[in-house]
Amino acid sequence: MTVEAKAAPRQGKSELRRDVSVWGSYMWGFADVGADTYVALGLVMAYAQGATSLVFALAGIVYIMIGLAYTELASAYPVAGGGSYFALRGLGDFSGFVAGSALLLDYTIDIALFATASAGYINFFMPYIIGRDIASFVTNIGPFHNVNPVWCAETLILIGFLIWLNVRGIRESSFVNEVIGAVVIATESALVILAFLFAWRPELLAHQWNTQFPSLHNFMYGSSIAIISFVGLESISEVAQETRRPATVIPRTSITLIFTVFIFAVAFSTLGLGILPWQEFAANIDNPVAVLAEAIPFVGLIAGPFAAALGALILFISANTGIVGSSRLTYYLSKFGIISPWFDAVHPKYKTPIRTILVFSGIGVFETILSFLTPSAMDTLANMYAFGATLGYTMVFIALIKLRFSEPWTPRPYKMPLNIKLKYKGRKVLFPVLGVIGTLGVGTILFMVVLTHSIGRIAGPAWVLLCFGYYAWYRKSRGLPIFKSIEHNWEKQQMDVLTSAEEFDLLEQYKIALAERDKKRTELK
Amino acid sequence: MESKGKKMEPQVTFLGAALAVLFTISMGGLLWWMLHPPRQIQPAVAKARYAVGAFKRILVPTSGVPYSEKGIELACRLGTEQEAEIVLTYVLEIPRTLPLNAPIPEAEAQADEALKRGKEIVELHHLVPILKLERAREAGEGIVKVAKDNQVDVIVLGIRPNWRGTQNIWGKTTDTLLRKAPCEVVIDKLPE
Repeated sequence: MTVEAKAAPRQGKSELRRDVSVWGSYMWGFADVGADTYVALGLVMAYAQGATSLVFALAGIVYIMIGLAYTELASAYPVAGGGSYFALRGLGDFSGFVAGSALLLDYTIDIALFATASAGYINFFMPYIIGRDIASFVTNIGPFHNVNPVWCAETLILIGFLIWLNVRGIRESSFVNEVIGAVVIATESALVILAFLFAWRPELLAHQWNTQFPSLHNFMYGSSIAIISFVGLESISEVAQETRRPATVIPRTSITLIFTVFIFAVAFSTLGLGILPWQEFAANIDNPVAVLAEAIPFVGLIAGPFAAALGALILFISANTGIVGSSRLTYYLSKFGIISPWFDAVHPKYKTPIRTILVFSGIGVFETILSFLTPSAMDTLANMYAFGATLGYTMVFIALIKLRFSEPWTPRPYKMPLNIKLKYKGRKVLFPVLGVIGTLGVGTILFMVVLTHSIGRIAGPAWVLLCFGYYAWYRKSRGLPIFKSIEHNWEKQQMDVLTSAEEFDLLEQYKIALAERDKKRTELK
Repeated sequence: MESKGKKMEPQVTFLGAALAVLFTISMGGLLWWMLHPPRQIQPAVAKARYAVGAFKRILVPTSGVPYSEKGIELACRLGTEQEAEIVLTYVLEIPRTLPLNAPIPEAEAQADEALKRGKEIVELHHLVPILKLERAREAGEGIVKVAKDNQVDVIVLGIRPNWRGTQNIWGKTTDTLLRKAPCEVVIDKLPE
């Protein structure tokens, strides 16, 4: 078998089916990102204090640029794999592997962290059901102190249920997301509107801004935490290969997701500072939205249990996107020869990537158990969360810039704004200014994460190194280069993807662009 | 938690109400836009649509008369969306009694004038004009040569509205083009 043949995406095996609609695509993203704000609000308030809205807005601007980069790339290359695929296509196999391993770390943590947090919100109701508080189950197991086996068991049951759901198929899994997500959006919107109408006091916001501005260190730490509240846009790209008409749908769902999440994050932080002192959120990091809801006139009485139920739901579907993301990412990595083809088997009946679902959800289970052996499972998991995302996003920006030069002919249904026209090797190229600004922005946040997150800066690189060990062994055993790329027939693959996605408009544009490129090459010769 | 059990008094401010309205409009607008994507295009429709979009270099022969200049305008409109290059050619028909490079000052001046007018039309559409003065024994052969040399995608030809006598309705030039052109040919014939 030639190297090229080994590297080509394998055909013939069952492919993922296209079942995700416009609303489903949006909800995959919202399920992931929406939950982040729910968790991060209290943490950011604790550090950014009177400047919380500013911190969310600044992190949000970086996030908007990341989002626009993803929108451009996911609509131009509607293939499962998201950021890792873009890095592989733009920068080569090794970069694809690095971005893939960084994002994979986030997906597995996503499963563990959000299932743990969801179970935590469910525990709010425990005293009403069994008459005991969850804290009463805390015990010591050998050398491990403050272990909560009940909470851990609840988390594992939730993950088990999600695994079953995902093996059954994306349609069922997507349906759960769509219904729960719609309820969450409606209720969060109602909370924001009622809070602005009846509880918000601009003078309190101004007072906290003037008198409670944080130190530079706290401001920076708050910013590095705030970016966590925007992690998850990747999910839309991950299900691109299962989305109907992805090149048309993804730009719309991505742009809507970017701005709705940004609006929610800035609205919640602005409301928080205009309704209560920031210290109240810092004292209730576990349920900041419930604290906010409780302070709203007319709905305050029922807001506590309601916010807890809402939190449990959105965190549950966020854990679900972690399973979908990790399984699709590894499915794609195996298709491109980055990891073993053993992973790309699709369930004969349900057409879902069964092995990747089981293996990487299994890693999520392992992380859950390990984190419950530390004094605070949530802290341990959250600390590692930002590393993978910021590393992956940095590589996506670099890939975006590179692809503008190496594949200017690829039709891009959406392009990042602010471009400079250049001539490169006789071709017209649009240089993305925002891509450069975004690289610097997300690179700065990555630097801040490494500087300030004590667990993340060790565990993150250690995970990437561990994955590299596997990658190097696998590539060597197959006779493939480790740091160099193998031949990929991108053009054929792009045409196959556009045909299967029924994006005939783009397909014709792509064929014409290739013909024009070939003609120019002939002229130059 | 300090706020637990504390009853909050409703407080309505103008800024708060304005932000609530702004939030509602922004969210509603975004979701509405997202849920209304453009409809799907069928393969045959896409093929037809982009077949015209593929005209990146359009050749228009001109003789400086109104019908050929209308052909230039037509070519510009065909090429506007995809920013096509417009190749304008004037073929000087050199009698066989003269060498091909023989000076014909009067005809050359007329050709320059025709190409200049054609260039003006092209520039009005913000497209790139490429001017070619070609010498040939027959206009049709000259146009085919320019088409081949410049690898054009389509030839747009405006032909005279009236034809006389026994000759074929297309005329000799058109006939040559239809037989020998290396690309698509669009003919614009005005009514008599």
